[in-house]
Amino acid sequence: MKLRLTLFGALRDADPRGFIELDVPEHSTVAQVREALQHHVHRHAPAISPSLIQRSAFASEDEILHNHRHVPENGELAILPPVSGG
Amino acid sequence: MTDIYTAVVDVVHAPLNPPAALDFVSDPRFGGIATFIGRVRQHNLGRTVTGISYDLFEPLALRIFQSIGERARREVGGPMKLYIAHAKGDLRIGDLAVVIAAATPHRDEAFRACRLAIEAIKHEAPIWKQEHYVDGHSAWSEGCSLCEEHREAELAAVKRDGETRGHQH
Repeated sequence: MKLRLTLFGALRDADPRGFIELDVPEHSTVAQVREALQHHVHRHAPAISPSLIQRSAFASEDEILHNHRHVPENGELAILPPVSGG
Repeated sequence: MTDIYTAVVDVVHAPLNPPAALDFVSDPRFGGIATFIGRVRQHNLGRTVTGISYDLFEPLALRIFQSIGERARREVGGPMKLYIAHAKGDLRIGDLAVVIAAATPHRDEAFRACRLAIEAIKHEAPIWKQEHYVDGHSAWSEGCSLCEEHREAELAAVKRDGETRGHQH
């Protein structure tokens, strides 16, 4: 399935469009998406450090999705680097 | 719930509005109002800052503000009104970044609810700060990981080292 990952904060530098599209198997877990994203970023945005991806969380519009969760059926995910509001 | 107000305010349209926060939480039941106002400051970690930009994942930020409000209500354990608004976009020195107001019957619960809300926003809400420096460079702030395994490690480090090192934002 095709996933669209919306970028925020320092991860916006990974793609000037503000999102990354990845092809992943149906019912992939967030951990598998993280792995696929590491490969994608390594090839297409090498300036982004792997540890930033490692410390980033994935989320839908409703909640944070931890590593064991499956990707949403609508194929929309946000990648949230470490947060710094306030 | 009408006793918790949450907002993300795009500063292109309007600045944050502390009097609106006081109006929202004011209620004849409440004798104590605690407010926290965060402003853009001129220096950070020894560098001169000219402005900052806030990036937010707005739908999730609003949900998390609401859940923080509900946590504050459980902590207070009685009637409370809470206002949480965070700025989005490009801010200059002195501009308002966040406004929180908590009102309760007495001061202790108001201070506690206000403190809980600002700390939770800093550590849990999907908001990112980019600082712009006088030399023309910009940098995204380090921040707190929302991943469960990294969160646990970071919170343990804070507990071990206190707030004096590595967790000053």
